[in-house]
Amino acid sequence: MTPPMRQDADKAPSPPRAPFYAGQPSYDDMFQSDGSPRAHYAALHAGMAALTGAELADRQRTLEQSFLLQGITFTVYGAGDATERIIPTDLIPRIIPASEWAKIEAGLTQRLRALNCFLADIYGDQKIIADKLVPRDLILGAASYRREMQGVYVPRNAYVNVSGADLIRGEGGQFFVLEDNLRVPSGVSYMLANRDAAKRTFPEIFRNAGVRPVERYPDLLLATLNSLAPEWRPDPQVVVLTPGIYNSAYFEHAYLARLMGVPLVEGRDLVVHNNMVHMRSTSGLRQVDVIYRRVDDDFIDPLTFRRESGLGAAGLFNAYRAGNVVIANAPGTGVADDKAVYAYVPTIIHYYLGEDPLIPNVKTFLCREPAQLDHVLANLDKLVVKAVGESGGYGMLIGPHATAAERSVFADRLRADPSNYIAQPTIQLSTAPCLVDGEIEPRHVDLRPFVLCGQDIAVAPGALTRVALRRGSLVVNSSQGGGSKDTWVLAQGQASS
Amino acid sequence: MMLARVADSLYWIGRYVERAEHHSRLADVLLTATLDQNDTAVTVARRAASMDEAGTLAAPDTPFSAAHGLLLDRVHQASVIASLSRARENARQVRDQITSETWERLNLLYLRVTAPGTARAFERGRGAFLHGIISDIHLFKGAVDATMSHGQGWRFLMLGIYLERAQLIARLLNVCFGDPVGEPPLDDPMTQMSILRMACALEPYLRVYTAEIESRHLLEFLLFDEEFPRSIRFSTQRILDHLTCLAGPATTADRSRPQRLAARLSGRLEFADMEETLRPGALLSLVARECASIHEAIHETFVRYPLEQRLAV
Repeated sequence: MTPPMRQDADKAPSPPRAPFYAGQPSYDDMFQSDGSPRAHYAALHAGMAALTGAELADRQRTLEQSFLLQGITFTVYGAGDATERIIPTDLIPRIIPASEWAKIEAGLTQRLRALNCFLADIYGDQKIIADKLVPRDLILGAASYRREMQGVYVPRNAYVNVSGADLIRGEGGQFFVLEDNLRVPSGVSYMLANRDAAKRTFPEIFRNAGVRPVERYPDLLLATLNSLAPEWRPDPQVVVLTPGIYNSAYFEHAYLARLMGVPLVEGRDLVVHNNMVHMRSTSGLRQVDVIYRRVDDDFIDPLTFRRESGLGAAGLFNAYRAGNVVIANAPGTGVADDKAVYAYVPTIIHYYLGEDPLIPNVKTFLCREPAQLDHVLANLDKLVVKAVGESGGYGMLIGPHATAAERSVFADRLRADPSNYIAQPTIQLSTAPCLVDGEIEPRHVDLRPFVLCGQDIAVAPGALTRVALRRGSLVVNSSQGGGSKDTWVLAQGQASS
Repeated sequence: MMLARVADSLYWIGRYVERAEHHSRLADVLLTATLDQNDTAVTVARRAASMDEAGTLAAPDTPFSAAHGLLLDRVHQASVIASLSRARENARQVRDQITSETWERLNLLYLRVTAPGTARAFERGRGAFLHGIISDIHLFKGAVDATMSHGQGWRFLMLGIYLERAQLIARLLNVCFGDPVGEPPLDDPMTQMSILRMACALEPYLRVYTAEIESRHLLEFLLFDEEFPRSIRFSTQRILDHLTCLAGPATTADRSRPQRLAARLSGRLEFADMEETLRPGALLSLVARECASIHEAIHETFVRYPLEQRLAV
């Protein structure tokens, strides 16, 4: 089971240190509460125990060097100068057994089917509103609702073609969906780059682990995009639309375009004429059929959305409405991942599919409901309060960490504009072991699997695990000290707990 | 199919990388000439390196600070660090169009000149440092040749390299031989050897003309040699080849303009009178002018063409 490993004779092996986990309140991916590794982690645990701290640190350095060389970086603009940093990457993979993955896969597939039905309904007959299951003003008043999309034909009714839901484990280890991310989710390139690195970091362990491959993601994505093109365009031209090199996810845009073998275009490469979209090539104009856009709704067409945007192409939306080009994801999908609409997702699944949700939501209080507002105000010290229209940790109150004064200021804001807020219990994210300064310590993690929807729905058998690298921190965003690690989804028949 | 913007970026990658290589070599020869106390060669290198007519780099106090500026001064437009940064910036914009091998070579070069300890590394071992940069650039060009498909994108990159090269060599020769008013003719063998080194031409030259270096032969070699890859004639021939392929078989009048200009220059060099090497000023300025027109024509034909024309088709 344990592959033979190289070992320094004069250095004592240092096994992963279970003591760091003593008295740990949250669920850990690798260790059970008694400090022993879970069955599906046994091989990795034994393999790592055969390495010294120095050897592990050495492999970590090699990994970071390879990321720098490949240009897997984001730019930090400082005083006068711009420096490039790699996204911090932890070398210890996270392992998810097949049985657990099967539940995630089924749950996310169900969720995306329902949310696409919901979007088709909202931008169509609005039956769910007429049936009074979702409040009208909540939908039509949402900042992410796009009136322009009303009645627009969307191929296969697949509004969301790529989603990247954020999942977290509760205290018992059960997964919850925290956010749906239906607009332009990013991070899939890190899933692929991390896998590439993990194979070189732990080749022996990887070979015997029975890990499902993620490498087919680019062709799955291309097949998904191709399946959206009209039938009379048998050899459709797919492009990736990027805001350009100053975007923090530019590496990913270029990476996906390269691996799919399609052009990476910017808004200035596109020309719309007679409701047809073309790109400027060296030999004239070429028609474009499917645009995998990595530009937000607001910026895709200055004629329809934000006027000052230079990132999109003038007239693009009209060409889309005329059915001459496909935009993936469709504009307006944000209305289904709005923080307040999130609370209705279980209802939405019931309504369209007649099923119970396979992955539960995190309990959410809608402050727009007077009874729930009272509850939130009475329990501000235990809850996390979020503004519906904001993201990235802005307009947020973490009750247990806030002072009484901060809470009272926030309480006033809640009373003044209750419908702008939701509240959730403070969730202790689960942990996974990470290499920090040569020691193995628990860090909080979440999980972002990627789901594709064209003709069929497919969940990529892998995910991005985001890590809060600061001890005790719950923030996994890369802009705020977050990192990532590779995620191994095991094939059926591999060791499971 | 190739995006116009992408073609433009690839072309500029070629130009910037070639410029970085040439200027690294100028810095290297400049430092060596200082050791030999050959002031003429130092002056030539300085003047060849200042890209603008005013010669922003003419003033620094010591040859070392001139070499340092030429290499690492971000403000100086033509410095190696500025060229490599721009080349990489362009490469990042077309990251999906170049192979990972090509990208990694260029990224490595960029990281090497921008790393915090670069100035110190250069001071500690100037020759070794410059040698490292130049051979890394050769590795980059090798990766371009060995890993990229030799299609449109590769041709635009090569076009950039050869056009830049023709202009740089023409400039170098112009500094040395272009109507020197009141200056003594360059007939000192040490200086002539330095000039050949600046063009990376010393060994190939010796094989053809032996060690008896003469200015006339030097000019003949760098202007008209058919086989030496840094001669102006060789570069022009390559420019013509690439443009012929890019224009495609059915050449409409407007798409073949760069090709026609290149053919004209190529013919001019092919049938030049050897006596022209005695007074090369006119020919050298013609080369500079024609290269500038080819550059303009490439841009207008493949990148910034008027849309009305193409929409009608």
